[in-house]
Amino acid sequence: MPTRLRLIEGEQEWVAEVTADDVRLSAVTEGGDRATPTPAHSYVVRPGGDDEVVAEDANGAQRATAVLASDIAWVSVGGQVFEVRVAPAGRAARSSTRDHDALAPPMSATVVRIAVTPGDRVHQGDLLVALEAMKMELPIRAPRDGIVTAVHCREGELVQPGTALVDMDHG
Amino acid sequence: MIRRVLIANRGEIARRVIRTCRAMNIKTVAVFSEADADTPHVREADEAVGLGRAPATESYLNISKVIDAARRTAADAVHPGYGFLSENPAFVEACEAAGLIFVGPPGSVLREMGSKTGTRAAVAKAGVPVVPGATPRSQESSAIGASIREVGLPVMLKASGGGGGKGMRIVRRQEEIDGAIESARGEARRSFGNDALYVERLIERARHVEVQIFADRQGNAVHLFERDCTLQRRHQKVIEEAPAPTLTDALRDRLTQAALKVARTVGYVNAGTVEFLVDESGNGEPDFYFLEMNTRLQVEHPITEAITGLDLVRAQLQVADGEPLPFRQADIGINGHAIECRVYAEDPERLLPQSGRLLRYREPAGDGIRVDSGVVQGQQITVHYDPLIAKLIVHAPTRTEAIDRLLDAIGRFTILGIRHNLSFLSALLRRAEVASNTTHTRFIEEHLGELVTRPDPALRQTAAAIAARLATSEPVPVEQDQSTAAFDPWQTLGPVRW
Repeated sequence: MPTRLRLIEGEQEWVAEVTADDVRLSAVTEGGDRATPTPAHSYVVRPGGDDEVVAEDANGAQRATAVLASDIAWVSVGGQVFEVRVAPAGRAARSSTRDHDALAPPMSATVVRIAVTPGDRVHQGDLLVALEAMKMELPIRAPRDGIVTAVHCREGELVQPGTALVDMDHG
Repeated sequence: MIRRVLIANRGEIARRVIRTCRAMNIKTVAVFSEADADTPHVREADEAVGLGRAPATESYLNISKVIDAARRTAADAVHPGYGFLSENPAFVEACEAAGLIFVGPPGSVLREMGSKTGTRAAVAKAGVPVVPGATPRSQESSAIGASIREVGLPVMLKASGGGGGKGMRIVRRQEEIDGAIESARGEARRSFGNDALYVERLIERARHVEVQIFADRQGNAVHLFERDCTLQRRHQKVIEEAPAPTLTDALRDRLTQAALKVARTVGYVNAGTVEFLVDESGNGEPDFYFLEMNTRLQVEHPITEAITGLDLVRAQLQVADGEPLPFRQADIGINGHAIECRVYAEDPERLLPQSGRLLRYREPAGDGIRVDSGVVQGQQITVHYDPLIAKLIVHAPTRTEAIDRLLDAIGRFTILGIRHNLSFLSALLRRAEVASNTTHTRFIEEHLGELVTRPDPALRQTAAAIAARLATSEPVPVEQDQSTAAFDPWQTLGPVRW
């Protein structure tokens, strides 16, 4: 019985069927309400010694360095590093919170300035909140045009990743 | 006679100082915060003293705790590294009051130099061109605004107590003035505890060239040639090289002589760096301006060590101990070309520092490659300090060979578990403008979009296949570096992903 997984890297998502012999990947493309898988692409992945693995498909073999930590696989291949999120098949793994992510602190940080108040109309790229962490000022900017509907932080407050600092209506 | 040195710093620079102390048979004392208890500099020192909680203000920036640690361990000298307390006159005075040798300029020199604005005035008086600017009559926003109007837009707002790119803001338009004053002030206050600002004309498209100088108490002063640090982002240096590739011999001579004049003007002792903006565009303006003087060892000192073959930390310790400089000007030459790049835990696309665990960490090694790092595999990069992971330094007979060597070394540097800027550095070094030396201090900002590596779809899908295989295989624990056996097993913490 193959193991079925969902894999996400950035905005790209795949479903995988993994057997003892190979990994079959189908890219998931968004089409209306239903995600449509494309035809499967087969890879053979085997250990290559040290930290390395070798992934082979019809086009040839690639050496890579890879490590899995909880649900994220870090893979360095061809001079690029990827962070692949692994989820059980069936569970909707695609992130639907990209704006939420954009409006949340990327790390524990201190709010040094709030540049907007609810009701403000902002343009993509406008500064919403200035944070500071690691001795650097980190701007949180509007991911697109819209109206600020709420501000959830105070100047001087220590804020944590995962919680939006500002709500925006993109209407 | 210095026998035991307390290193009032962390990470790569603490390890760097320990290396030279060992070579000189000097005992070392490390200090550390709770966040750094298991880091390499703590293990490598002969003794280590915990300072307190992770925030720098409660540990590495806390003068009385550092002095107390030196007293308790019977250290006779303190090396401040860079950043933290390295340029803090109160710290130098506290060391002197406690009978400790401060490895750097004496407090009297720092007092004499006063603020950046005071040094600017002294340097201008000595006949070295300074960037045109104005010191506001008071720190009221209206007075700073008046100075900005006097200098004329665009300007650079700078912190009088500053350095390291903190508390600096470019102002191009009238409506940006208030916001820039406010954010520069805030950053200056948090970084240096001093929010005084001054105004300089913004000189764009210049090159940043700095001269390493060294002076002793006997009155000898030499220069160790220059470094070009033009490739910067947000006023933070990214790639540095020595010698500066665009200088004519005549201009090199004038710059090094100007740097020595600055050093003599302020009565400088120990290692220091005089920074200049070089603008050879002509138009009747001076072809270089004094920017500021840094009264410490620079982050990028290894490229000077590479081309001169000298150990700057050794000379710092000797001069601090009252000995004359171990080299004369005639002994110092340039051999080959060196380049350093700063490897940061940073999301290259969103330009945000990252924290997380180094699940795989393998440094490149080989002829002409030096890696100064403060980390080992398995270590957590925390939010508390600078996101520098390592400095990768190469040395080769020519600049072209140095770039090739650096690109190869970057390709063999493996860092997994945290986002970093290695691919960004590689893209930058491959630019034709870098090869032809037609970059300027705003080059990275102007070309950022082209320097961020877009994921290759085929590689990305291959990565997904590898991820699927790993996720369905038996777990293999992360190997701990031999020297990091004290760490928690990786399973208990797991990485944090932002």
